[in-house]
Amino acid sequence: MGNQKVLALKHLTKSFGQKHILQGITLDVYQGEIIGYIGPNGAGKSTTVKIMLGLVDDFEGEVELFGYNIADGDPTYKQRIGYVPEHAEVYDNLTAREYLTFVGELYGMERDHAEEKAKDLMAIFELTDVFDARLSSFSKGMRQKVLIIASLLHNPDLLFLDEPLSGLDASSVMIVKEVLAQLAEQGKTIFYSSHIMDVVEKISNRIVLLHDGQIVADGSFEQLQQQNKEGTLEQIFNELTGFNQHEAIASSFVSVVQDGDTT
Amino acid sequence: MREFQSLKILDTFKKGFEVFGVDYEVMRKILEVKLTMDQRRVPTMFNQSTKKKEDNNQFLKSLGMYLLMSLILIPLVLGDHYFFQMSLVFGIVMFIVMTSMISDFSTVLLDVRDKVIIGTKPVNARTINTAKVIHVTIYLFCITGTLTALPLIVSLVQQGFLFFIVFVVELILLSFLIIMFTALIYIGVLRFFDGEKLKDMINYVQIMLTMMMLVGYQLVIRSFEFVDFQMNITIHWWQYLIPPMWYGAAYEWLLQHNQGQSIMVLSILGLVVPILALLVYLRLIPSFERNLDKLLSQNTKATKRGTFYREWWANILCHTKEEKTFFLFANQMLSHEREFKLKVYPTIGFALFFPFLFLFNDLRLRSFAEMSNSKLFLTIYFCILIIPTGVQMIKFSENYQGAWIFKATPIKYVANMYRAATKALLIKLFFPVFLLLSVVFIFIFSIRIIVSLLVVGLTASLFSVICYKVLNKSDLPFTDSFAAAQQTETAKHFALFAVIGVFVGIHFFSLSVPYGEYVYFGVLAVTNWFIWRRVF
Repeated sequence: MGNQKVLALKHLTKSFGQKHILQGITLDVYQGEIIGYIGPNGAGKSTTVKIMLGLVDDFEGEVELFGYNIADGDPTYKQRIGYVPEHAEVYDNLTAREYLTFVGELYGMERDHAEEKAKDLMAIFELTDVFDARLSSFSKGMRQKVLIIASLLHNPDLLFLDEPLSGLDASSVMIVKEVLAQLAEQGKTIFYSSHIMDVVEKISNRIVLLHDGQIVADGSFEQLQQQNKEGTLEQIFNELTGFNQHEAIASSFVSVVQDGDTT
Repeated sequence: MREFQSLKILDTFKKGFEVFGVDYEVMRKILEVKLTMDQRRVPTMFNQSTKKKEDNNQFLKSLGMYLLMSLILIPLVLGDHYFFQMSLVFGIVMFIVMTSMISDFSTVLLDVRDKVIIGTKPVNARTINTAKVIHVTIYLFCITGTLTALPLIVSLVQQGFLFFIVFVVELILLSFLIIMFTALIYIGVLRFFDGEKLKDMINYVQIMLTMMMLVGYQLVIRSFEFVDFQMNITIHWWQYLIPPMWYGAAYEWLLQHNQGQSIMVLSILGLVVPILALLVYLRLIPSFERNLDKLLSQNTKATKRGTFYREWWANILCHTKEEKTFFLFANQMLSHEREFKLKVYPTIGFALFFPFLFLFNDLRLRSFAEMSNSKLFLTIYFCILIIPTGVQMIKFSENYQGAWIFKATPIKYVANMYRAATKALLIKLFFPVFLLLSVVFIFIFSIRIIVSLLVVGLTASLFSVICYKVLNKSDLPFTDSFAAAQQTETAKHFALFAVIGVFVGIHFFSLSVPYGEYVYFGVLAVTNWFIWRRVF
């Protein structure tokens, strides 16, 4: 496996008005790594990803992808990136065929090539019947599969996945997880954000934990376990983000449900 | 997807785009997708019934409507009072195009998906922005084109070539002005607000623009009543602010050879303002794109609004707990549904504007004292016009999927829902307008009209029940998508307007009979009592 540097963030800071979303992120990512990128809501995860995709500008610090400084403004580097967005945005008036072909073409693929590949991938996910149906009629899981296909159609070297398994059924989850593992083996780099800790724990070979715009932990799951003397990633997560009242909160919740005392 | 005629025309300008650093092939693909989606922006109800005719162009159908509307323009391009007539023509064109721009194309300008879907691909920003502008332009030219095709031909035959050419050039300038004006307003709003507040502001801007168009259109007509258009044309300062007049003035200058200073200034404004707007727009585009993100951000800080007023009404108007619950619910829905506001609030403008329009017209014929003794207070019936639109829209909701809750919860009497929603509509929408008008009218017509006002109130209450039955039958409130609302039931609306006419007639008659009004009041009260119980 190559140890070529794919991604480099140097002192990345970003604020919206008074709010400091990112407070100096420095991170190097190498080829073949699956990064579990985790943190509580508002920690700055999606902002980091958006900056790397060129959706947010006006940041301070340096962002290099494949050795190219993205502040230079040439979007060509995006050709090697695949992205599954957080809110599952698609043009849902289009059919799956139209949407996937369009995305493929935007990535610079030939129309016929993109269409054929999309068709094959849809067939593997057992979606051949709905290839010509509009995305607006798709269930959440079907839509998610389309998004995953859209992100991989052009065979990218770097993947940004934001909750890519949401809405998928159990067997599809197993397939996608295996796909990711095999892609990483072949030298693709994956940036995986999620709130579901056990998946992150199993899938990633390196975990980066973000809290209040700073990296508070970085290393393999085993390394984090040794440092924190905790069992699961969930527990480590709670310890590092200083959250330990879940039992107390839960019991006051239940007590209110039963019309009891709030304390 | 099929080939688009407009894109083939665009192909001839390929070189031009490439000079400006636009990746033409990619832009063409984006436009192809966008145009395909526009065709499919179909009412969902339609969608299910005509599944086979997938690519049947919905947009082309709506163009047919514009062609029909263009007939009213034809008489206006005949005759020789160019300034007056053409200002009116441009006024009408601007009104129609701008309203369709606000209602249909705001979504294009404010589409946040573009950024995530296209922005993450290797496509440069200039290509994306150009695609956006071209997309809106194609649409706008289709509408303006159909709307003016017939008048243009007529003008070429009747008024000659110079007239025709001036018409064409000015239409293009006007179209640009409309695009830029809309875009600049959105840029401004996006800059100063964010989160939910931003969405509210956009909503209010849309409502205000629609109302402005209504009033502005009246102003164009009005301004010529003060102008002796045979010889001297005196221009008031505020007339410089009405764009259709800029374009009308150019005719006065170029075809009537009137080289008065104000005419020249007006004509030049018509040329300079669109260009200035374009320059400002190009400069602001990057910050526009950046601020567009705010539409996604969730600003959760919100304060609880006062509920005292609502609860007070709920206690007075509703007799069961279930009805009370629905009343409060409907009230809250009505204050949050942006689409509802956009569709209904402009008619409030109408309701407030029309009574006074009549009063002002009347004042030119007789004195104030004479008027205040007349029966002109009956113009207050105009405010009842809000009710049909409001009632029709109440069955729709942006979040119509949420309606499962009505099925999943143990509701005893569904009738309570209709009743409560209609009551909420009356209180929330009609009552404030009615109250405002009543206070002003009591000042104008003295306290003697108080019984008449009560009669109007009772009529409104009765009328809303009739509207509900005619327009909604047994559809539950807030359970259908707004997309289905596009087919407005025009015939039914006109029938309902006729019903108002009948009410006004009876009221008018009752005024001329001794004690007639009191009897009428009594009859209405009893009918109301009966109908609210039985009909739902």
